[in-house]
Amino acid sequence: MAEKILTRNFHLPGSHTLVLYRETGGYAGLEKAFAMKPAEITEEVKKSNLRGLGGAGFPTGVKWGFLPQGHPGPVYLVINADEGEPGTFKDRYLLERDPHALIEGMIISAYAIGAHLAFVYIRGEYVQPWRIFGRAVAEAYEAGLLGKNIRGSGFDLDVICHRGAGAYICGEETGLISSLEGKKGWPKLKPPFPAIRGAFGAPTIVNNVETICHVPHIMNRGAAWFAGLGTKSQGGTRMYSVSGHVTRPGVYELPVSATLRSLIYEHAGGIPGGRRLKAVVPGGSSAVLLTADEIDATLDVDGLKNAGTMAGSAGVIVMDETVSIPEALMVVARFYAHESCGQCTPCRESTGWIYKMARRIVEGKGRKEDLDTILDVARRGAGTAICAFFDGAVGPYISYIEKFRHEFEALIRK
Amino acid sequence: MNARGAVRVEFTPEQRAEVRRLQGLYPDRRAALLPVLQLAQEAFGHISLEAEEYVAGLFDLSPAHVHEVVTFYTLFFREPKGRHVISVCHNLTCHLLGAQQVLAHLKERLGVEVGGTTPDGRVTLLGVECLCACEMAPMLQVDDRYEGNLTREKVDWILEGLA
Amino acid sequence: MVRLTIDGKEIEVAEGTNIIEAARRLGIEVPHYCYHPGLSVAGQCRLCMVELGNNPRPQIGCNTQVAEGMVVRTDTPKVLEVRQSIMEFHLINHPLDCPVCDQAGECWLQIYYMKHGLYEPRMVDEKVHKPKAVPLGPHVMLDAERCILCSRCVRFCDEVTGTGELGIFDRGDRSEIGLFPGRELANPYSANVIDICPVGALTDRDFRFAVRVWYLDTAKSICPGCSRGCNIDVHYNIRRPHHNQGRRVARLKPRFNAEVNRWWICDAGRYGYRFVDDPSRLGAPARGRGDAAQEVGWEEIIPLVTAQLRRYRPDEIGVVASPKMANEDFFLLRRLVDHLGLIHVDFRVPPRTPGDEDRILIKADKNPNTRGAELIGLGPRPGGLDARGMLRAARDRRIKCLWVFHHDLQASAWPAAEVGDALRAVECFIYQGSNSNGVSAAAHYVLPSAAWVERDGTFTNFEGRVQRFWKAVEPLGLSLADWEILGRLGAALGLGPEPASAEACFKALAASAAPFAGLSYRELRDTGKVLSA
Repeated sequence: MAEKILTRNFHLPGSHTLVLYRETGGYAGLEKAFAMKPAEITEEVKKSNLRGLGGAGFPTGVKWGFLPQGHPGPVYLVINADEGEPGTFKDRYLLERDPHALIEGMIISAYAIGAHLAFVYIRGEYVQPWRIFGRAVAEAYEAGLLGKNIRGSGFDLDVICHRGAGAYICGEETGLISSLEGKKGWPKLKPPFPAIRGAFGAPTIVNNVETICHVPHIMNRGAAWFAGLGTKSQGGTRMYSVSGHVTRPGVYELPVSATLRSLIYEHAGGIPGGRRLKAVVPGGSSAVLLTADEIDATLDVDGLKNAGTMAGSAGVIVMDETVSIPEALMVVARFYAHESCGQCTPCRESTGWIYKMARRIVEGKGRKEDLDTILDVARRGAGTAICAFFDGAVGPYISYIEKFRHEFEALIRK
Repeated sequence: MNARGAVRVEFTPEQRAEVRRLQGLYPDRRAALLPVLQLAQEAFGHISLEAEEYVAGLFDLSPAHVHEVVTFYTLFFREPKGRHVISVCHNLTCHLLGAQQVLAHLKERLGVEVGGTTPDGRVTLLGVECLCACEMAPMLQVDDRYEGNLTREKVDWILEGLA
Repeated sequence: MVRLTIDGKEIEVAEGTNIIEAARRLGIEVPHYCYHPGLSVAGQCRLCMVELGNNPRPQIGCNTQVAEGMVVRTDTPKVLEVRQSIMEFHLINHPLDCPVCDQAGECWLQIYYMKHGLYEPRMVDEKVHKPKAVPLGPHVMLDAERCILCSRCVRFCDEVTGTGELGIFDRGDRSEIGLFPGRELANPYSANVIDICPVGALTDRDFRFAVRVWYLDTAKSICPGCSRGCNIDVHYNIRRPHHNQGRRVARLKPRFNAEVNRWWICDAGRYGYRFVDDPSRLGAPARGRGDAAQEVGWEEIIPLVTAQLRRYRPDEIGVVASPKMANEDFFLLRRLVDHLGLIHVDFRVPPRTPGDEDRILIKADKNPNTRGAELIGLGPRPGGLDARGMLRAARDRRIKCLWVFHHDLQASAWPAAEVGDALRAVECFIYQGSNSNGVSAAAHYVLPSAAWVERDGTFTNFEGRVQRFWKAVEPLGLSLADWEILGRLGAALGLGPEPASAEACFKALAASAAPFAGLSYRELRDTGKVLSA
């Protein structure tokens, strides 16, 4: 059984407390980090092959490296705890069961990038996680792990817990920044990228909760160890959120080299009632759907990319033979139409239109042109919007129809 | 209370101190807008147009820009809501595992449509997008907590616990 | 300077120029909605996509600055396909209002659709419905369904007027432009959002259903509303005289001038044309007061007025010119005044309410040519009275002949009784102006002036910029430009032949008055020139 790193304390009562975190070796990574130079930490994170675990899968160390050197003003660290990708719930677990892992990761990361102010943007619906995390932050301040001159290192860091107010698009890094700045969660034009000009106009690094939680372990046990856990292009383990038609839905931490098949059948207990697998959403709803004969892909970023989909947020939704794919598309299309921020034309107009068509098909009023219209609109809109939200929607729009066209056609013929 | 029995739209001195603290916390005080709107919603029950204008004044923002923010995010209630808010997730996993039945049951028990509030002001029923608790699908959020693995009985139990 | 290639053509532009502007200089149009050179970049419409170098994904042109050696293509199949797609997206929820929409004929959805569109509409579902025909303020009408959410209007109110009235509420395809409920769009520049709205979402209430734009002709002009001298275009309708209740001037629009008003005009100036086709226009010369008043022709009135001017001593005549007159008019009046040796000459009449002023465009002096009057010399001569003094002298019968140009003295800061007494007492009151007003009825002789849109001329703005305005429509009735009236009077007084045109007057002005030396209409071009004095 592979070693549990991020989830090792989840089952322990009081896992969210400083006392228990320390008892199980917490904040040792911080000591190691303070003995290093900030640039050395960034190098180590680069070598570890840690990749963003919120959805984009971008190499974390490389992202940190984009910060301008010797910048005269402040640099900010922003933790994206606006978990919203359907099928994903791992960050919630981390916030509730191991908040100090995030805090320790934040201190090390802030130290590495030269940030003295870190914002943790927690989705507004996560009230209990916000309270638990807030108490952990208070504990950290009391223990001198946050605030001025942390552990005598001379390094200052303040943490602001900022609650969202209900908008999936605030999980997009520049949408999050806009929301943090007190505006609508409208993503910003890129370039400039946040590392150059981000929150409040300052260079900003935005990282996912889980990504940052890995950092103390990389400090503790080294980049080579972390890299060795995974594949050539992605190191470490990651937490897979498994739900849908499985016997044991929940969070599973596995090395990224594991396969989707093993995750579903070995770890999550396969499909109840002996039913057959029809399809799997492998990386949150924005990932291309995989059919039952495509689940031997490895779960790393490149493995799933090669399988024609994406690792995304590692939200795995298992669908058995009873599922109507057209109905699933309608539900997913409704989500994208509801969450489109509306800022740019292709996404704003197409998400609404495609939902109307998808719903009409499910209601038995589909026209034979509708399927090709949805596919064409999705293809034409891909790559034209301000952010990747629409491209995320395009994943299900195209794959559900292409891979299960007969189900849609059956509803249209009726 | 004002003449209509509604809560008067004005922060107490303590709340105004909290507003100032929040505004001073961020590099730009406008960043405190969401937390202050959340404070206003707690204080006044919901965010009326009057509350929007009041908050706009605290930030030297045009009310139109505060209205943009309030209408953009789903957790701001622009009309009075029930003492309890039940948000039923209707996204993919929950839909596959019975969200529609949960909603139908709640509609019947409460006698409201989705989006409505019971006449006695006890419960507002909403349908929402992914709350990221798919492992306990079908699930809902009632006030501050998540409740999942819902059955008819569990839903009834949840309702019984709401005063 | 940066050198780059667009569609195979090389160009050199300043650093920081975006691709839309660089292409424009080559005469290449990159279609766009949300970009406006006077506002911040939004990058929302996604129409201005171009291909950059080897990048397989088209990029927006508005937010891309030129770089040395950049290769841009605006004409590839990929770009044309993206434009088609974006046009389709813009039309998905757009109502088919063209037959009833004022924007038709100048609508950028129509224009780009014809050029770049996907011509087979395939959206058969119900469109999103939003409020229609919502008055936002005294001048602006909103149709939220037509809105393409380019946010230009929002940015205008935030960045230019700083008033922030507009916002985009809600999200997704429910996004809607609007005001904070219960408020108004009433800043002094509110109607500029109509100009910058690419579609018929924001339209002019004043122009609503007035006349189709394809019947309009245009003449370049200057707003006469204050001393700023904002550049405008006069849109007039002479092709369909039965539309718009026979009014010829249909609307005024701002004309870009980087040095004066950039892209904007204030609402007061924009709607300051209504007097031109108003029933109060003086359509013919007239003689006689009150019940004795009777319209006559120019052949009759010129000798009559000339005789009056000859009858009195120079110190018995008072001339109150108006800073609304053109430089050409001042020059001829000055010549006449000097020829007659008049000493009581002035042009300043204070308004009852002091004019408002701001740091954007609006000036307190609500006259277009005060500077012209000052520079050409229409003030009191040594020993002569100013305008107030002339009124008192008229009341005391020391001034026996008063010649007033354009002013409504009853609307001035001076007590109405004083004005009334003076006009009743004076033996000969000559009124020269375009519209009847509170004093014109008391005139013994009325000389009808053409309005500024009915003639050529120049104004000198507050900073000494001389700017041309062009004739749009013919003078109403028998009215004539002030310079023409003064030319005829001058000829009758022995000053020589009447000038043939306003330009001829300007030439003569440039030959005589020092600050105007060396200027000509040709040199003034479209944007005017600042006097070196």
